[in-house]
This record gives sequence, structure tokens and C-alpha cells, in this order.
Amino acid sequence: MTLVAASLAVITLDYRGGENGPLAGLGRTALTVIVPMQRAVDTVTRPIGNFFSGLAHLPSLAERNRQLEAENRELLAAAQANGYKQGLYEKLSAVLALRSTLDPSAVPAVVTGSGVSNFEWTVTIDKGSDAGIARDMPVVTGTQDGAMLVGRVVEVSTNASIVQLMIDRNFSVAGVLADSRATGLVVGEGEDDMRMGLVEPGTAVGGNESVFTQGICVADQPGLYPPGILIGQVSRTVPSSNAIEESVSVRPAADFSTLEFVLVLQARTSCS
Amino acid sequence: MIRRVLSIAVIILTALLLQSTVFAQIKLVGVKPELMYLVTIIVAILEGPREGAVVGFAGGMAQDFLLNQPKGITALTLTLLGYAMGLARQYIVSPSPLLPTMLVAAGTAIGTAFWQIMATLLGQYDAPLSYAVKVCLLTALYGAVLTPIFYPLLRRMLEGSRPQRVVRY
Repeated sequence: MTLVAASLAVITLDYRGGENGPLAGLGRTALTVIVPMQRAVDTVTRPIGNFFSGLAHLPSLAERNRQLEAENRELLAAAQANGYKQGLYEKLSAVLALRSTLDPSAVPAVVTGSGVSNFEWTVTIDKGSDAGIARDMPVVTGTQDGAMLVGRVVEVSTNASIVQLMIDRNFSVAGVLADSRATGLVVGEGEDDMRMGLVEPGTAVGGNESVFTQGICVADQPGLYPPGILIGQVSRTVPSSNAIEESVSVRPAADFSTLEFVLVLQARTSCS
Repeated sequence: MIRRVLSIAVIILTALLLQSTVFAQIKLVGVKPELMYLVTIIVAILEGPREGAVVGFAGGMAQDFLLNQPKGITALTLTLLGYAMGLARQYIVSPSPLLPTMLVAAGTAIGTAFWQIMATLLGQYDAPLSYAVKVCLLTALYGAVLTPIFYPLLRRMLEGSRPQRVVRY
């Protein structure tokens, strides 16, 4: 009974206090403690996780197995040359090359873990307010050819931050289609492709057309993203249910299952 | 007593770390397991409603601090779940070795449904019903699959740290 009352008190306190409430401080402390441990565990278990997630994606195990056996001999030689570390090195150099092309100064960070819940899509990174990161800053990844949007910072402690991925159901960003120049609001849909709504009816949207950030604030939505960051590609047009707007599905450009390095842009985060 | 508290803290911390690293990548049709629910239910089955509620509260609070939702929802869910499952275990007389697996599956489904209802009432959650049902069913299935691995481990840890009963003559 006491514990139920305590839980209800915590919910009320946190709901009313928000990010300045007494519990937000405790949350930041918990984040500070858990991230170094998460990083250590992740270093050990990531290859195991990669193995299982790769296994789950195999459409036909037997068919793939035959192909893999053939490829195995070639790959073994490559693996002996420490392919995993080479891959990490290449990803990191690509992200650092991207950093040098970006206008606002960006903080590179390592992804240490994913969100613990099935109801929100977040990752934790190993940099916090000590490195100049603040709430609502945009997070990107990519190579020097271009930046791809990852999400925005939602929680910051001294040495770690939580990043809300753009596929989270509470995430939205103003987007613009590359060819038709039509604008709309891109909203996260969890594991499914994102939905770009509020597109002007009658817009001819091409398949695989790229969607970029537009660099404007959306009313009632936190965060401001610099223009020209790639969000994703149009995967299909959704049949319109009304004459006021059209919707398209957008496949995210960044692959969140293999996300290892990101850049936090120290850009302006609000319009006011 | 201190040993008991320490081993429960280690169990909760390990579950949190595994949930956010290795199990975040090993998904079942896009759904992660709910290890904290699994731990709470197993402790409740082995140790009774009182300890189930305490571990549920502590584990739920720890998980809440890593979420971008109002803190306390998971703590409330797991406190009630731990108490209810501990109580249910006392009234079920079954020699079936599958009992823990079935209790974990049922408890996880009910717990995740309760969490979603609470989050919806607080205006923090608006996923479609199909996704809500999918998460309830798949986390229950995932929990059932993991029970044969985690149940013996947790039983050993809890029995090892149980305070020795002192009998005086």
C-alpha cells in the first residue's frame, strides 16, 4: 500500500514538476551512473546482438546458409584482418569528416545503448552537458557527402544524454521534398516508416524522392533543425482520406539498428 | 540482510543493462523483452507478494529514470504486478513445471497493458491499438521463452542470499 502511494506521489510530482522537478535531478544522476556501465556491456555484447539481429532478418535460413557458406571463405580472410575494428574506424572517420563540413560546431559521440522501453525509441550517448550538449539539440550521422537526421536530445546529464530518435511516435520535424519542393510535417511511427502529412493535395511525389529538413519551427513542437539534413526517402504514397492534405510514407535514411557514432549539432534550438 | 539487498540491486541493474544493450538488438518481430517485468514476476513467485512488490517498485523506479515519460508509471505497474503475482502464486496449486512460464506470460501481458492504459490516461502515449496489442502479446511470448533461462538463475541467487533462519532452544 505504501509503495503504491509512493508511486502515485512520484507520478504526480514528476508530472507537475516536469524537467525542473525534483525527480528530474535524480533521473540525471541515474543516467550519469548507468551510461559508463552500459558502454562497457555494449562493447562486449554488440557483436552478439548484431549476430542475432542479423539472424532474425534472414528471409530463408536454408537458402541464405548455402550462399553464406560460399561467401564464408572470402570473408574469413577479411575477418582475420580485424574487419570489425576496420568498420568502426571507417564509420568514425566518416562521421568526423562530416563534422568538418558542418557549419555549427558539432560534438561527436558514441552510442552506448538503446531505450529500455517498447514504447519509446531512444538511444543513450556518452557525451553530456560537460561537452556542451543541451536539451533539444539536433543529432545527425552520415558521411562527408551529407548529414542524415537521427533525432534530438531530450535528456542531459554531465557525461551522458538521451536522444529521441526521429522514428519515435512523439517526434516531428518540418520536411521538404527534394524535387517537387512540397513541404509537410514528418512524424515518427515507431518501427514502421515515418509519415509525412500536410502535403499539398495534387503534388506529384516520385518514388524514392528524398526528404530534407526545412529549418523552420513547428508550432507546439520542440526542436529546430538546420535546413538540408536528409530525413529519408519516400517509400509510398498513402491514399488520401480527405481533400485537405496528402500523406506519404518516408523510409528513414539513417539505419538505427547499426548506429554507433553520431554528431550533436550545437545549433540554435528554438525560434523564440 | 545487506547481502539480500545487494543481490536484489545486482539483479535489477543487470536486467536494466541487458535490456538496453544486448536485448535492444535481439527483437522478436520488432519487440524487445520486458526484463524488469520478468524479474518482478519471478521474485514474486519465489518470495511472495511482499518482496514482489518491493522489487517491482525498486526495479520500476530504476527503469523510469531512463525513460522520457513521467517517472513512476513503471514503478506503480510493477508494484501492483509483483504483489498480485505473489498472491496468485499462493492460491494456485499445480505441480506443473510450466507454471512459472505461464505466470510470466500472463503477468507480462497484463502489466504492459496496464502501463499503456496509465500512460494513455496521462496523455503520454498514443500508439494505435494494433501496436498496443502486439506489444502485450509478443512481450508475453518473449518473457515465456526467457523464463526457463532466468528462473533457475534467479532462484539460485535469491536462495543464496536468503537470511538464515535462527532456531533457539
